[in-house]
Amino acid sequence: MIRLLNRQGVSVFAVVSAMLFCCNSTQASSTSEWTAPDQEAAKEFAALPVELIVNIKDESPYERSLRLLDQGLSIKDMPSHYFLLDSPIIKKQEDRYGPVRFMHAKHARLVRDCAVCHHYRPEDPAVKEINRCSACHQDAFDPRVVDRTGLKAAYHLQCMECHREMAKGPLSCTGCHDKKIPDHVKLIKLVDKPEPSQVTEECLRCHENQGRDMLKTAHWLWRGPSTHTVGRSKEIEIGKGTIAFNNY
Amino acid sequence: MKLNRRNFFKLAGVAGAGALATGAKTAEAWESKAPKDPFGCLVDLSRCVGCRKCEQGCNEVNKLLPPERPFVDMLLLNEKRRPDANSYTVVNRYFTGKSDEQDHLLPTYVKIQCMHCQDPACVSACLVGALTKKESGAVHYDVSKCIGCRYCMVACPFEIPAYEYFDPLTPRVRKCTFCFERIEKEGGVPACAAICPVEAITFGKRSSLLDQARTRMKKDPARYIDHIYGEHEVGGTSWLYLSDVEFNKVDFQDLPSEPIPKLPETIQHSLFSYLWSPIALFGVLSVVMANAKSKKNKEDES
Amino acid sequence: MSHSPSATHSKFFTPGVWVMLVFMFIGAVAVAARFTWGIGSVTNLDNSHPWGLWIGIDVATGVALAAGGFTTSFLAHIIGRHHYEVIVRPAILTAMLGYTFVVLGLLVDIGRTWAIWKPIFSWNTNSALFEVAMCVLVYLHVLYFEFAPTVGEGIGGRVKTLVTAVTDKIMWIFIILGVVLSCMHQSSLGTLMLIAPTKLHPLWYTPLLPLLFLTSAIAVGFPMVVFETTLVSSSLKLDSEMKILTPLTRITIFILGLYMVLKVGDLVYRDVLGYLLDGSTQSNSFLVELGFGVILPWLLLITPGVRKSRGMLFFTCCLIVGGVVLNRINVFLVGYHSPYAQTSYFPAIGEIVVTAGLIAALMFLYRLAVTFLPVLSASKQEVSS
Repeated sequence: MIRLLNRQGVSVFAVVSAMLFCCNSTQASSTSEWTAPDQEAAKEFAALPVELIVNIKDESPYERSLRLLDQGLSIKDMPSHYFLLDSPIIKKQEDRYGPVRFMHAKHARLVRDCAVCHHYRPEDPAVKEINRCSACHQDAFDPRVVDRTGLKAAYHLQCMECHREMAKGPLSCTGCHDKKIPDHVKLIKLVDKPEPSQVTEECLRCHENQGRDMLKTAHWLWRGPSTHTVGRSKEIEIGKGTIAFNNY
Repeated sequence: MKLNRRNFFKLAGVAGAGALATGAKTAEAWESKAPKDPFGCLVDLSRCVGCRKCEQGCNEVNKLLPPERPFVDMLLLNEKRRPDANSYTVVNRYFTGKSDEQDHLLPTYVKIQCMHCQDPACVSACLVGALTKKESGAVHYDVSKCIGCRYCMVACPFEIPAYEYFDPLTPRVRKCTFCFERIEKEGGVPACAAICPVEAITFGKRSSLLDQARTRMKKDPARYIDHIYGEHEVGGTSWLYLSDVEFNKVDFQDLPSEPIPKLPETIQHSLFSYLWSPIALFGVLSVVMANAKSKKNKEDES
Repeated sequence: MSHSPSATHSKFFTPGVWVMLVFMFIGAVAVAARFTWGIGSVTNLDNSHPWGLWIGIDVATGVALAAGGFTTSFLAHIIGRHHYEVIVRPAILTAMLGYTFVVLGLLVDIGRTWAIWKPIFSWNTNSALFEVAMCVLVYLHVLYFEFAPTVGEGIGGRVKTLVTAVTDKIMWIFIILGVVLSCMHQSSLGTLMLIAPTKLHPLWYTPLLPLLFLTSAIAVGFPMVVFETTLVSSSLKLDSEMKILTPLTRITIFILGLYMVLKVGDLVYRDVLGYLLDGSTQSNSFLVELGFGVILPWLLLITPGVRKSRGMLFFTCCLIVGGVVLNRINVFLVGYHSPYAQTSYFPAIGEIVVTAGLIAALMFLYRLAVTFLPVLSASKQEVSS
């Protein structure tokens, strides 16, 4: 790290962080200008409170599949192609990862059998045949429904077991989730008008390993020309690995 | 004076005999002191994905020191770890030969923590009562009473209590607290159970967990082996385990179903309740001593 | 033999005493390290091996070997075999110093040394250790009381009169109390390990353990007296006390025999003889304990020639003492099996030097006491003999 700091007294990290901030700001400004309508709808849907269905019909998965087939339910009956798995039920206990973007239609087309996921129907005949996950799976360890997992476990068990069986789809945490990145505005402690090296030092306070890794990448070791990036071609002709300062 | 003393000896002898009688009567059968309706946790090894989030949640809630290697470092699973003074729970990985259709070996992950026995050996052992079994099921450690003798560590059949060996004056015994402050609140859940992404840890009343375990085994008999670890082991534990592999393959011990404190407590109480035996012995010895003395006095006189 | 006890006033600073002082100094350094950097810094103890040499030797063995105190005072004072009285004082001195060092050893071993008083107010009567702690605490003071007249006599004058006045009338209570308390905690020391049925090797884990501890403690009482009397009379060039020691060990035949029968009978009854020859450290250690610590000395003791020969008797008693020492080490250390330990326990240098330092300090104080206080009754040997 010392090497990183000393080298020419300027920092690569400042660039990275500047880029990060830059991205954030463009993102922020872009959301105010334009939003994906299905994302907004999904957000609203995810936040809707759901009443718990306590009693379910006792039937085998096979019976269930057959009955859904008999009713002629198909992909066309899907109310939504896209869900954001971002329930307040889960966030109540733990909130470490970002929401999961779930391509409902894609999964439905691959699996074809609705009963694989929508594995039980409510006992009450007045309730509709197929319900969202959180209609049955809510809080973990709810004494009203002792044999039923909570929503978080229901998602993980259903998704991961199927992904494993099919040898398809992500199994790691960040395969589905964005890691919830804490608000860095609150974490970063810098003096007014910091030197670039101070910025680097501050980043390294938490991201020491990343700093070490950075020193081994082409971003740091590049010795070839770097004048081809439009708008960033500040006459660095023989690469950062030789003489370059930060390419602001 | 001499007469008085003789009288006292007689009295002592009678008292001793009396104590003997009461002692014999009070040495009744040992009774379990287990709470009637404790909480527990059911760990389903077939569900655990080895993410070590329980370790992380435990560390944060109990305000333990940050670990040397971060919780996302899965290389730690290459070694077998034990809970220690700074980690109340650890997850170990085993390859037991179980494999999937593509012949990939499948891991089994085992979370280890205090089992919170129904009749804990450590509680029976602790001479100052620093360890207690709460009604909630938690085996609670009160540092203000502890003298640091480590007898609890000798007693624990699961080898759970850990010790701060490098603290010169105020070392503590460290072990899972069952998040007793959380679970004793309405709706409270232990940190590990709350954070577990797959509900490999189910929290609830122990009786209900046993039912749930049986339901799961009945629903999917091919998935589970027919044994709820902790149902009977050492008289029952608040933490229970369900598994898809034989327990002895993943370092669980075969333990007797007798509560561990039963034998030593039975011995202690049948010998020493109301101090009957020491009093009786004292009485008998006083009589013997007085007799010997009077005999000697007579000899001296003659 | 009819001499009344007197101070030996031998030369004090012999080379042996200097060696003890060196051991005491090294031990003190290790103790200082323990109180600076913690128990972990000087011991090999870990979460799998919470008890080590300090508990096995300093405490468990210390208590067992101090059994000479209550066994001799029972013999001489309670059942009135007054001719044995000459060995009571040295035995009480050993016991008093022994228990003092048990407590000192504990103070080093327990993590929260300053909290040692807590069991007095915070009771768990289910715990065998609680009983041991209480008994040791009370018995230590009983021993101080029993030894007080010796100190009073040593100082002489008004102190002697005062001490005699206080102790004379009530001494009998303390003598009996000493026996009662000893029986209680000698046996409860055996109960201690009954809390670990899955950890203690089946050769030693038996419900009879308390009884075995008690009988072995009683059995080692007189041999210990022989052991130290022989050592002391050799070291201080005193007359040998064989006239007392030979009949004393006849009693040991019965008690050691009883211990042997109980121990072997227990093995047979529990059907664990199979463990005896499996070649493990545990089974070998058990065989040595039983063979060389119990059976061999018993066979020697029943031979009258052995009892009359000073050298053979000393050797036999060494075997018995060694057998009991090994038994305590076996129960607390060798036979203790941790289910998850990756390494096995062997005491660290730090533990050994603390234990050695404590033993040296005990011997040092013993010599100091017999030199300046009326403890020993044997007269000085003539220089020519």
